[in-house]
Amino acid sequence: MASLTVRKNVDNLDASELKALRAGYAKAQTIMDNRGYNHYAGLHGIPNWYCWHHSHVQGSNVNANLFLPWHRAYLLYFEKAIRDQSPAIPKVGLPWWNWSSAQSHITGVPTAFSTATVGGQPNPLYRAKIVAPTATPPINRMTRRFPGNPAALPTATQVNNLLNLNQFTDFTNQLENIHDGIHGWTGGNNGTVGGDMGSVATAAWDPIFWSHHCMIDRLWYLWQLRHGVNNITPSLLPMVLTPFGLKVQDVLSTNALGYTYAVSFIQIGRVLTTPVIS
Amino acid sequence: MAPKKAKKATKATKKTVQATTADNAYRVAKIYKSPKTVGVETLPSEYVRADLEFIGVEHAGASYEARVYVNNPSADANTQPTAGNGYAGSFYVFGHGGCFGDAGHCDIHAPRDQFDPRRSHPLEPIKKIVDATDVIKSAASTGSSINVTVVPVVTSWTELVDTDDVLKFDHINLVTYY
Repeated sequence: MASLTVRKNVDNLDASELKALRAGYAKAQTIMDNRGYNHYAGLHGIPNWYCWHHSHVQGSNVNANLFLPWHRAYLLYFEKAIRDQSPAIPKVGLPWWNWSSAQSHITGVPTAFSTATVGGQPNPLYRAKIVAPTATPPINRMTRRFPGNPAALPTATQVNNLLNLNQFTDFTNQLENIHDGIHGWTGGNNGTVGGDMGSVATAAWDPIFWSHHCMIDRLWYLWQLRHGVNNITPSLLPMVLTPFGLKVQDVLSTNALGYTYAVSFIQIGRVLTTPVIS
Repeated sequence: MAPKKAKKATKATKKTVQATTADNAYRVAKIYKSPKTVGVETLPSEYVRADLEFIGVEHAGASYEARVYVNNPSADANTQPTAGNGYAGSFYVFGHGGCFGDAGHCDIHAPRDQFDPRRSHPLEPIKKIVDATDVIKSAASTGSSINVTVVPVVTSWTELVDTDDVLKFDHINLVTYY
C-alpha cells in the first residue's frame, strides 16, 4: 500500500530532505515544457490566469468561492511535478511555511528560502526565472522579493481565532484575507518596485509561493479536523477546478489525495514480519 | 446579482507620501473618509457581531493593507492601530499588478448570456469584511454616530500600476448579527 506523503514544516526538514527538495525545484526550473516550473507557475497568473480568488459567478453557482479547493488541487499537481524531478528517497512533500510562528516573527522568510546560494550554487528556493514571452510587456527575468518587517506577520492567536470560526464561508473569507496580506508582505518593495509575491500576475514564480500556500492548505486541513472534512457549501461540490480535472468534492480529504500534514514525522521502526493473530 | 462597477472612494485627503509607518518602504495612498455618518440609533439593541463590509473593492492594481478606523477621521499612517484609536481591523488586497494582456484583456465584461459556462471576469470587484464588533459597540456606547476612515498602506506593486489612488470601492455596509 502506498504511504501518504507527509508535508512538513520547512524548518523541520533535515539536510537530506532539504537537499532533495532543492534538487527537485532546480531540475524543474530548467524544464520549459509542461513538466517544468515555468509551466506550473504560469497557470496562476500570467499567461493562463486560472487562479481562483474571492467569489465569482460560474454558471448557476452564485458567488462561488473556490479559493481553498482550487489551490489545494494546484499544490497537488505541482507537488507531483517536483517529485518527478526529485530523488525517490527521501520522499519529500511540499513543506509549509508557518508565518505565524515565533521563529518567523524573528527571521521572516525561512532561511531555506532566503539564502541566495547553497554550496556555491544558486538556491532554487531563493528565486526562479520568469519566462513569459506573451505577456505585455514580455517578462524574462529572475523573481524579486523584498519582505517586510517580520513583526508584522500574523500571530498564532490570530490563527487560532481563525480556526475557531465554525462556518466555511466565514473561515475561507478571513483566511483569504490573511493570505492576501502575506502576499503583499512577502513581495514587499525596494522603494521603486514591488516583489513578485505581491502581484497575482507573477506570484507563483517565487519559490516561497508554494510553501505559503501549503500553510494556507494546512490551515484548511486543521479547520476540517475541528469542524468536519465535508463542512463546505454544498453547491460547490460538483464544481470543476480548471485546469486540473478535479472537482471540489474530490479535494476535501487530504488523505484521499495521498498526503497529510505533520509537525514532525519520526519513523520508530519497521515491521519486518507480519504478526500472526490467532 | 452581479456587483456594480466600482467607483472611486469619495474623498481623498492625502497625496502619496513615502511611508511614515514602521514598515518604511511602504507607501500611503489616498485616505478614505466616509462622507456621512450613521446614527447609533439605527443599530439594533442587541447584537453579537458587527461587520463592516466593503462592497465592490477593485483589485486590479497594487497590493495594500487597508486600515479601518471607526470615529477617527484624522487617522493616517502614523495612527497606532489600537482600539483606543478606533482601529477595527484591516483588510488586505492582493492586487493583480496591472494589465499584462493585450488591449481589452482587463476590461470587465458580463457573461455573454445565461448559457455562458465561463466564470465571471477575474477582475470583478470583490467584497472584503472586517469584524468591527468591539469598536462599533464602543462607539455606540459613547457617541451618537459612526463614521469610517480607511488608510491604505501600499505594500507591493509593479511598474504598471498607480500607488496613489489604490483604494476604490462602491460602498460600505454595517451588518450586525445576533
